Parts: sequence; structure tokens; C-alpha cells
Amino acid sequence: MAVPIDIDTLRDKLGIGDDKVYGAMGEFAEPEDLVKAGRKIREMGYTRIDAMSPFPVHGIDDAIGVPASKLGWIVIFFSLTGTAAALLLQWYAGAGPLNTFLLKFGLSGYPLTIGGKPFFDLSYSIPVDFELTILFTAFATFIGMFAINGLPRLYHPSMNYRNAHRATDDRFLLVIEADDPNFSPAKAADDLRSVGARDVEVVEG
Amino acid sequence: MSQHTISEHGSTESYQLEQSRWAAGRNSLFFIALVSAVLCVFGYIQNPERFFRSYTVAFTYTTGIGLGAWFFIMAQHLSGSAASVTVRRIMENIMVTLPVGALLFLPLAFGLKDIYPWSHPDIAAASPEIRAKGPFLSETWFLIRTYGYFVLWSIWVFAIYHQSTKQDTTRSAKQMHVISRFSAPGLFLVVVVGTLAAYDWLMSIQPTWYSTIFGLYYLSGGALSFMAVTTLVALAFRRAGILKHAITKEHYHDLGKWLFALTAFYTYIAFAQYLLIWYANIPEETQFYRLRSQGGWFWLSLSMPVIRFIIPFFILLCRGAKRDLTVIGLIAGWSLIVEAVDLFWVVMPVHYPNGPQIHWLDFATLAFTLSVCGLMFWSRFRKHKMVPVGNLRFEQSLHFENA
Repeated sequence: MAVPIDIDTLRDKLGIGDDKVYGAMGEFAEPEDLVKAGRKIREMGYTRIDAMSPFPVHGIDDAIGVPASKLGWIVIFFSLTGTAAALLLQWYAGAGPLNTFLLKFGLSGYPLTIGGKPFFDLSYSIPVDFELTILFTAFATFIGMFAINGLPRLYHPSMNYRNAHRATDDRFLLVIEADDPNFSPAKAADDLRSVGARDVEVVEG
Repeated sequence: MSQHTISEHGSTESYQLEQSRWAAGRNSLFFIALVSAVLCVFGYIQNPERFFRSYTVAFTYTTGIGLGAWFFIMAQHLSGSAASVTVRRIMENIMVTLPVGALLFLPLAFGLKDIYPWSHPDIAAASPEIRAKGPFLSETWFLIRTYGYFVLWSIWVFAIYHQSTKQDTTRSAKQMHVISRFSAPGLFLVVVVGTLAAYDWLMSIQPTWYSTIFGLYYLSGGALSFMAVTTLVALAFRRAGILKHAITKEHYHDLGKWLFALTAFYTYIAFAQYLLIWYANIPEETQFYRLRSQGGWFWLSLSMPVIRFIIPFFILLCRGAKRDLTVIGLIAGWSLIVEAVDLFWVVMPVHYPNGPQIHWLDFATLAFTLSVCGLMFWSRFRKHKMVPVGNLRFEQSLHFENA
């Protein structure tokens, strides 16, 4: 029995033939040119600009107006959590059966006498506090960076650009993304050419 | 970051301090030196004992700054740092104040009895620990060692300085290679000989006490105050409209990072010393902290982690703070003050076990050693450029930006 297929619905669902555009892309041979061109593009009023390079280019964040990362705030939260966890852990481990507060909850630590030192003391807890802070910081930085960047991802529309692979080698790419309010394909491509980009293409998304 | 940058404004500036401004700076430094010298002489006549004790703090303070500068210059030459090149000459001029320490040390040579208990034969004879250190802790050897340190240091410092200023005119890579060759053994001299100096000048004030990390404690404090001085000098130049384009916000951000890193480094060393001594609980070692946990010293000891670590560290943690010139200036000033407090805390408790006693000579001696070193620092600006224009990374440094 034939099922009626609404071809338009299917096309919409699969995104076939709707000419989705990722953005206009062009390449530069030198990092300084990328920074200068990025600044000019931004001065033209574009706000959705991206850059791709084989290594971190100093000054590009400022040139294309990348907002300050929120990662620092995530990291400091987890760092302090690490410090607190370390203190709590050591204090709890050293809390003996005389700790009536913990006993109320049926909890007792495992106090050991080592070198005649107190069961809990800030002095000797600091190396552990430090290490756990560092551990939490490292995890928060690594995982947070992945999450914010939407990694891991196997596909990115910029790969449709013919010179995309050279962004890992010897070229510096500049993108004006299609979701920029001032974006129109032909105009954006011309603007890229006007600031010195080569091999400019409108890349499909 | 890249070698191909071409200067847009740099080449038009001469980077030479105007003669009138230089003379004004020299005159004010000379005035401070003169007034503080008179005060020091007056203080010496009135209370020689206190003069020598205060002077120990002042001498080790300025020498520590010189040692920190020397260490940094060499480390930056070895690592090929480009970011710091525009502040390099300021750092180098601080470095050449290190040999001045040989002159500044002279008064101390006459006051060893007022500073170092081991120089009293009766005290030394009564203590088996001091007797065991007999040949090391004798006045003759103490002086020979001290001048040995200064001779060694001066050779390196003047050699590096000479090469760097020579490069202003030659603009060749040869000088950078020569400095690098000096730098690697030089780093060894800073740490090993600097440790010996710290043992002699500071640790032997409490001659029965041992702490192998103490040299680093002194050197890390000196490196931090050196970075603070560099920051303050650069900010003062900026306020006077000098080197405004050469030392940009990016360079201040870098100096801020160094202040932050050195604060953490100092804390690491200071805490390592405290923790190991606390944990091992051996009388030869604990006496240092025991003395400083009594009387009025207790509160100062307790506040050390706060003033030396918590306040500067958490303020400098923010990126914005490191890029704010006012904040950077305040933290640099703060670091210099707490380093003086720190050395006061190291030197004085042996002499005044009941608690800190602040004396006007503390300020007068510090003003004296700082202004004498300041004159040496300032005298370099008369002939030489204010930035190492011949350094091959100079153009690169002008355009330096933080990632």
C-alpha cells in the first residue's frame, strides 16, 4: 500500500536542498594579517566572526571580539569545592568516637596517632588541601573547556571549506558566520576579499 | 610571537631620558640619600646597637632586590623571552645595584657583635652547636665570604650589563649569545651562593638554628620585591609620560602575572619550611618558630600568611586585576612593604624576644640603602637608552600581546 509522502516535509526534516549557509570563509598566510583583517571585519559591523589557526594567535580574541571566557568562574567554584572536600575529609577521618556531633548521625572517623600530632590540624592538612584543589581545578578546566566548546564533535561545517585542512598547517582562516544579522553571502564574501583574504568561499552548513 | 612584525611607531622614538628630567631624578635621590645618611649617623651615635640591627634588614632588603633582578635577567635570556624586552633595561639597571651591596655592607662589618651572637667568644664557647660551626662562623671568614660573594656576583652582573648596553649600538646577536653563556652558570651562582649568603647574613643571627630551604626563602622574597620595584618604576615612568608606547598594558599584565606567580612561589617555600619544621619537631629547627610565637611576635607570625599570601594572591587571581594599572601598582607597593616586614620578622626576634619594637632607624636605614641603590640605578639612564633597542626581540616585544 502506498504511503503518501509529503516530499516537502521530508526535505525540511533532512535539511536537503535548503541551501543552508555556514558562512563566508577566506584564508591568510600570516597571523598578523589575520589579526588586522579580523579587526577590520569587526569594524564593518559584523559580530559573528570566527578564526581558525594552527597555533594560538596573540591578539585575535580582542580583534574579532571574542567575549571573555566563563571558564574561570566554573574553575574557581570547583577549586574551592576541592579545598572544602579536602578539609572535610581530613577532619572527618580524624574525628574520633568522642565526636558527639558525628555520632548523632551514626558516623565515626578513623583517628590515628601519627608522630604525636593532633587528629586534625590545619598545618598538615594543607598539602592535601593543595593537591585536591589542584585536582579539582584540573578536572574542571579540562571538562569545562570541552563542554563549553561542545567537544568532542566529529563534524563542523567549516570543514566544507576547500582549504580547511590548512588551518592545521600553514594558513589562517577567517569566517563571517551566517547567523550574523548583517550577513548576506555575496556581500560577506566581498568584504572578506576587501580585507585581503584569498580563496574566499561561501561555505554550506 | 612572530619575527616579521615591522614597527609602526617605535623607530621614531629615541628612548633616551631627557637630561633635565634625569638631573631632577638624581637630585631628589641624592637629597634622600643625604638626609637618610645624616639620620643614620645620628642614630648610630645615639643607639649603635639598634642602628646595626635595623641596617641588617635594610641591607638584606636591597641586596635581595638586586639578586632577584640578576636571576630574572639570566632566566629571560636563557628562555629567549621576548615579552619582557621593553622592561629589560629597567630590570638591568636594578641588577647593577647588586654590586653596590659591597659598599652598603661596610658599616655592618663594624657591628657584627651587635647582630651575630656567635661573634661573642663566651656565647660561642657555651654552646656546643656554635662551637661545632667554629671555623665557619668566625668574623674573618664571615667577611671574606661576604666579599667573595660580591666579587663573584659583580663579575657576572657587570659582564651581562656591559654586553646588553653594547648591543644598543651593535644590534648583533653575538651579545645575546654571550649573555646566554654567562647565564647558565650564573643561575647556579644565584641559588647556591645566594643560599650561602642568606645563611651568613640572616640565618646565623640565630646560630643554633638550621633550615636548608632558608636560602630560597630569602631569594624568593627578593625576586618578588624585584618584580614589584620593576612594576612601580615602569608605572612611575608612565605617569611621567615616558615609555608609554614601549611598556603597554600587555607588559603590565605580564608583570602582574609574575607578581602573582612569585607570591605563590614565596608562599610555597615559606610554607614548606614551616610544615617540615612543625612536623619533624626537632629542637634545633623549631626554635625559629618558637621564638616567633612568643610575646608580641605571635600576632605578627599569625598575620604573615594573610599579608604575604591571601591578600595579594586572591586579588591577583582575576585577569582584570592584573590588567588594571592601579591594582598592579597597589599590589606591587604592598609586596615591597610586606617583604620589609618579613625581613624584620626574620632579623629582630633574636634581639627583641618580647615583641616587635619599631624604631625610626628602621625607616632611616631602609631609605638610605634604597636611595643609594636608587642612585646607581638612576645613573645608568644618563648614558644608556631606557630600553634595549639593540635586542633582536625588541620589535617583537613592542607588539607583544597576551593570549
